[in-house]
Amino acid sequence: MGPLEGLAYGFSIALLPGNLFACFIGVLVGTIVGVLPGIGPVGAMALLLPSTFAMHPATALIMLAGIYYGAMYGGSTTSILVNVPGEAGSVVTLLDGYQMTRKGRAGAALTISAVGSFFAGTVGVVGIMLAAGWLADVAIQFGPPEYFAITLGGILLLSRLSGGSILNAFVMVALGLALGTVGMDSISALRRFTFGSVQLAQGIELVPVIMGVYGVAEVLLLAEEGIAKTQIASVKLRELLPTPEEWRRSTMPIARGSVVGFLTGLVPGPAAVLSTFISYTVEKKMSKTPEKFGTGMIEGVAGPEAANNGATAGAMVPLLSLGIPFSPATAILLGALVVHGLQPGPLMISQRPEVFWGFVASMYIGNLMLLILNLPLVGVFVTVLRLPQHVLATLVLLLCLVGAFSLSNSFLDLWVLVIFGVFGYALRKLRVDPAPMVVALVLGPMMEKTLRQALFLTRGSVVELVARPLSATILILAAAALFGPPLVRLLRGRRVAKPIPQG
Amino acid sequence: MLARAVPLILLVAAGVYLTVALRLPFGAAARPGAGFYPVIVAVFAIVVALVATASAFRGAPGAGAVELDAAPRRRVMITVVALVAFCLVLPWVGYPAAAFAFVTVVLRYLGGRWTTALLTGVLSSAGSYGLFAVLLDVPLPHGPW
Repeated sequence: MGPLEGLAYGFSIALLPGNLFACFIGVLVGTIVGVLPGIGPVGAMALLLPSTFAMHPATALIMLAGIYYGAMYGGSTTSILVNVPGEAGSVVTLLDGYQMTRKGRAGAALTISAVGSFFAGTVGVVGIMLAAGWLADVAIQFGPPEYFAITLGGILLLSRLSGGSILNAFVMVALGLALGTVGMDSISALRRFTFGSVQLAQGIELVPVIMGVYGVAEVLLLAEEGIAKTQIASVKLRELLPTPEEWRRSTMPIARGSVVGFLTGLVPGPAAVLSTFISYTVEKKMSKTPEKFGTGMIEGVAGPEAANNGATAGAMVPLLSLGIPFSPATAILLGALVVHGLQPGPLMISQRPEVFWGFVASMYIGNLMLLILNLPLVGVFVTVLRLPQHVLATLVLLLCLVGAFSLSNSFLDLWVLVIFGVFGYALRKLRVDPAPMVVALVLGPMMEKTLRQALFLTRGSVVELVARPLSATILILAAAALFGPPLVRLLRGRRVAKPIPQG
Repeated sequence: MLARAVPLILLVAAGVYLTVALRLPFGAAARPGAGFYPVIVAVFAIVVALVATASAFRGAPGAGAVELDAAPRRRVMITVVALVAFCLVLPWVGYPAAAFAFVTVVLRYLGGRWTTALLTGVLSSAGSYGLFAVLLDVPLPHGPW
């Protein structure tokens, strides 16, 4: 199936009433959690994952992904109007977005960020169509050694990019890898690290870990504040229209942001957050008046807002064509597919076209829905911010508890949720990003399986394993990314401060 | 103090992990057993923990915890205690009672009024029980009554 045929087929799937409804629910929930500070898309996706078990895999994917990219729209609203990031991908937006609000241009900032997100979403869909198809064709020749190299390289890159110190990231990786070995060994069926517990034999489930680290931990941070009143600027509908001058200045940043975002999404790392920092830096460098950034420059809103949406699309490519998630959000999507016995990978596009193409088409429809939801209805979502925070926080906790239990009716999952909730809160306090742990927990078992299969193939020769052209290339690239920057810094003999994105 | 304790705890944990991993069948490079990969992970963990310990004791700017005021710290502590208590009592008192108590207590201590807390407790425990246990057939424990 060619891309155009595939897309047409995909629309016939995505436009089925059930899928259309799932898409709407997804982007609606996404917008709401995006608007609400403290509760992010990853926690919401984990919360809603159990509800997708009864759905068709395509429908599940459509809804959960809708939350992910929907949050990128919603997050900007809070950044612009309240000067608090709705979620981590919108931190940069508040630099210039809130300044625009203070100048009475909130409406223009909202419109530009919604239109920019929409444009980037569209570019992203085209990007997925082209890149995923191409990558899947290449990946069909991959064997265990290549997959091992990709998972290992991915974890190394992620540690480099996750912000903060590499040492902290490596601690998180080691923890995630170790947790991933708990339970039944997939090859020899031997129980490992279960200490006699029958429940632990099935391993530590990803979803309660994510619910804890991204749901409970965020609520504990909210609990610190107690009741907080938010000051919200009000926006009238006719103020939403940007001036021709603002449109003109936003065009190129949106275009650049879309591409930067998509490319960042392809690379392992906290793509949505990182892409906004990169885009902001790019726009500042390109600008004739870089000193004005931070005082309400529309470019500083347009670029990053396009970038975080492009990044969510780019992040789908390795998931769909390799079956490898490089972020907590895509790890949940993988979980949703695996529950249905579907293994994403190079064969999925041809064997389950309704899932792949239906999903791609739904992203386009979802972005259109988001444009409509976020522009005329922006006022409705802002009222969500007037909900009492402490009531909301308590209800989210209850939902996490009952959701974690309902995953497999197990009390163990409840304990995992609470323990990782407290642990995630401690990590936030220590300014350590939990993402490397979560990704290592998912990729660890993949890495072990492929390593053992690969060593079996090469009869135990590690040299043969890493010297295959593709594995060698991937590992060299990862090593260069990991050790290159500190090496360059060492050679230059000076330290360069780098921005630390906090997610 | 904390900045030095954490890497040491990690080091001990990695050591324990290694001793358990070493008891699993290691196999050979051409036929890796169940303990092969865990041992590699353990060695990696120990190296990372050693580096972390070394840098903490050299006084490198490590992770310093941000001190909280008494009131926020109390709110977080109570929420955590409530979460743990919920998990402990759930099998004995059942979901509706545990959820009601959890929501009421947490909401009250996060700064809600008693009336709001009680009302939200009743509504949310009944609502979530109806949704999950009745509609979605999740076998939530219902307690002795």
